Amino acid sequence: MNLTINGQAQTLDDAAVAPDMPLLWALRDVLQLTGTKYGCGIAACGACTVVIDGQAVRSCVTPLSAVQGRAVRTIEGLGTAEQPHALQRAWIAHQVPQCGYCQSGMLMAALALLERNRNPSDADIDAAITNLCRCGTYPRVRAAIKTAAREWAGAVPAPKGKA
Amino acid sequence: MRRRRFLLSALGVGGALVVGWGVMPPRSRLGQASMFATDANAVGLNGWIKIAPDGGVLLAMPRSEMGQGVHTGLAMLAAEELDVGLDQLQLVPGGHDAIYGNVALFLGSLPLHPEGTQPGQEGSPARAGRWIVSKVARELGINATGGSSSMADAWEPVRLAAATARAQLLGAASLQWKLPVAELEVRRGVVSHSSGSKGHYGELAKVAAATPPGPVRVKEPKEWQLIGKPAPRVDLPAKTDGRAGFGIDVRLPGMLYAAIRHCPMIGGGIGAVDVDSALKLPGVLRVVRLGNYAGSTAALAVVGRSSWHAQRAAQALQVDWHQRPAGGLDSAAILSGLERAARDAAASGGGFAFHRRGEAAPALAGAARRVEAMYRAPYLAHATMEPVNCTARVADGRVEVWAPTQVPGSARALAAQVAGVPVDHVTVHVTYLGGGFGRRLDIDFVGQAVRIAMETGGRPVQLLWSREEDTGHDFYRPAGTAFMQAGLDAQGLPVALAITSAGDAITPRWMQRTLPQLAGPMDMPDKTVSEGLFDLPYGIEHQRMAHVTTHHDVPIGYWRSVGHSHNAFFSESFIDELAHEAKQDPVKFRLALLSAMPRHAAVLKLAADQAGWGAPLAGGRARGVALHESFDTIVAQVAEVSLENGRPRVHRVVCAVDCGVAVNPGVIAQQMESGVIFGLTAALHGRIDIENGVVRQRSFPDYPLLSLKDAPVVETHIVPSTRPPTGVGEPGTPPIAPAVANALFALTGQRLRELPLTLKA
Repeated sequence: MNLTINGQAQTLDDAAVAPDMPLLWALRDVLQLTGTKYGCGIAACGACTVVIDGQAVRSCVTPLSAVQGRAVRTIEGLGTAEQPHALQRAWIAHQVPQCGYCQSGMLMAALALLERNRNPSDADIDAAITNLCRCGTYPRVRAAIKTAAREWAGAVPAPKGKA
Repeated sequence: MRRRRFLLSALGVGGALVVGWGVMPPRSRLGQASMFATDANAVGLNGWIKIAPDGGVLLAMPRSEMGQGVHTGLAMLAAEELDVGLDQLQLVPGGHDAIYGNVALFLGSLPLHPEGTQPGQEGSPARAGRWIVSKVARELGINATGGSSSMADAWEPVRLAAATARAQLLGAASLQWKLPVAELEVRRGVVSHSSGSKGHYGELAKVAAATPPGPVRVKEPKEWQLIGKPAPRVDLPAKTDGRAGFGIDVRLPGMLYAAIRHCPMIGGGIGAVDVDSALKLPGVLRVVRLGNYAGSTAALAVVGRSSWHAQRAAQALQVDWHQRPAGGLDSAAILSGLERAARDAAASGGGFAFHRRGEAAPALAGAARRVEAMYRAPYLAHATMEPVNCTARVADGRVEVWAPTQVPGSARALAAQVAGVPVDHVTVHVTYLGGGFGRRLDIDFVGQAVRIAMETGGRPVQLLWSREEDTGHDFYRPAGTAFMQAGLDAQGLPVALAITSAGDAITPRWMQRTLPQLAGPMDMPDKTVSEGLFDLPYGIEHQRMAHVTTHHDVPIGYWRSVGHSHNAFFSESFIDELAHEAKQDPVKFRLALLSAMPRHAAVLKLAADQAGWGAPLAGGRARGVALHESFDTIVAQVAEVSLENGRPRVHRVVCAVDCGVAVNPGVIAQQMESGVIFGLTAALHGRIDIENGVVRQRSFPDYPLLSLKDAPVVETHIVPSTRPPTGVGEPGTPPIAPAVANALFALTGQRLRELPLTLKA
């Protein structure tokens, strides 16, 4: 089975996976990309959020068969310690994470939001960030998304045809 | 007296010996370099501090990071005294030596009333109790992260260890350069003298290790460079790029994955199992029967090639589950029984009295008017975002465990017992915790993982519970009731307050599960049942706070802020009822009762002022206030609430906190926000129902958490203080439920006396 993860082609051993295996487990247990988390397995919490073709997707209910040939981006493909993404800089500036477990999913959901909307309103953020956090980082998530949006809007031209 | 007997029996020795031992100085927590392991090139100066060749500092870190910021907070203490930057300090796991034990956690278990512990008022029983418990806890050396105690515990030993190391390093420079210590300066770990002599800690460490420190003093507050200023958390870069290693992220060569299915009925058993229903599926290796480990219900584990293979097969297992012999547990029946128990004890003067002042019974009987109310709170699950998990390898008579745990020593002891090896053949690696909130003070999952790993031929195995298993087999926050009675004078002011609560006690059962070697001797009344009730700061003349300890077989455990989590709702809602009875403003009413408690009054005033208490609000909103001390930290919150579609909507919470020295104001604000939002989930949504032994709630759809769109703005204001720091991980949680309930009363006239808060249509 062939996948494209963070711009890299990955071939998975057919003995290790199955078409109905959720993407989450292929990432975590086969490819050892453990940044994406398991929280509920029923798309209720968002800890497993990845971005596929620009959309935030809950990988715990997304079978491998549905992601063949599509571009999957995980937290490992967002930025690095040396070259952090605008979202990661904002996350640090606002000191968002606490336990940190839900934060990969939060960041990827925020990425999908900002990729289509560089000036999200509170209502836009409410609608896009349905990820659960038990530590209560929500107010800082909201603030950091706005900071990242400003930085991104200033540094990167918005895609044509979009507001 | 029972408490004294606890202290003596906890030692397991007779009184005469204790007197002799008691006058000896407490065991030092400085320790030796051999107590924590790092790479051999580092030079150890004591049990907390080693110096790397490049001059970097290695700090032994025994506490578990579960979001509360402890790794940053303790690092700040060491960096401050050593005059290095936080970036120059690296955390290394602490070992199992007693110096890393958490003394403050045990001090926090003393049932002391705040009146006896205010500055200048501390009575000799409080002092004597603290002294002896501190000594005992130092000997026991139990490493646990909980009870909002880490900062209070580390404040002296970590600063002293770092200051001692600094003194040795400066002593070494002084010897080598033949210059007086007083003329040396340190900046970012570089020692220098105006004459030009200069060297970093790495160059001085070897000589320092052989140099006595001489007289050591920790810095005066005016000398602090780091303490008191917001410092960025050291764990956050790794928590924004996927690198942070939680328990679930452990990956080892040849590792297998296990899923679990417990008997759905709490305490039930397993009959016939059709193992083939699982084994015929691809990627499945074996099925393991699991007995009871540290309080767990019997279960079946399925080992597979991935968590998905294992989980799928676990779901497919055909099992004949057995109800427990005593019959299925029922939470509604338990709560009704707790109501009766509280009411009956209130009538008979029963229960264990944690606090007595004046003569409450006659004062109630003779009062001009009486106010009575029954309050209730349900069982609650922890619902950490990282489900319960543990990785274990059992091979060649040795056990290795990777666990997100708050109690590594207990995990180690249980692993040794399950595998049948000596405890020193067990290594425990503590990972980051994807939330703890008390769930990871239990070690059931460690026993299970080790047992499974005994069946995998030496291959490591990672046990991961599904969300449904996590919700259905927790150690729940106990359900509780409290019958509140107040006697009012002719002006409507309270002259007597009696609180009779009922519910199960966590500590004795947790001790049996987690610290079995101490479970016998520790027969002290469990303060956690009555905390937040017996220790109210209000100067009401006659008081009696008693608790009826019940025993039901629902597994119960510590849940963020423990007894305070529901008791603050009971007490601060009822105080609000009394303010209403007295026809007084809730803030003024409380302040009038706080004349002997200036710290509490200051916190309340700060919150009220910052919230604009009394000023007009936007239409449809009302304010509610609550004040509560827990874990020696005082918090007041003012909540602004409205109704949206008939349901409470919390818009803004203004929080004031006195936690002594504000070591890292950034983390304090973060923890207040965290405590408020965690508490709001419980106040507005949280309930676990048990029917015929089965927990009805299974996952987030029926055990909902507060969402981002419903989260309020939280503003935190810190009272400046020079007192030693106290914890912030839990104290933000208790006041929010009563603050919201009191706002809902102001808004609707409905007095809600049960959690979660549900308005009548």
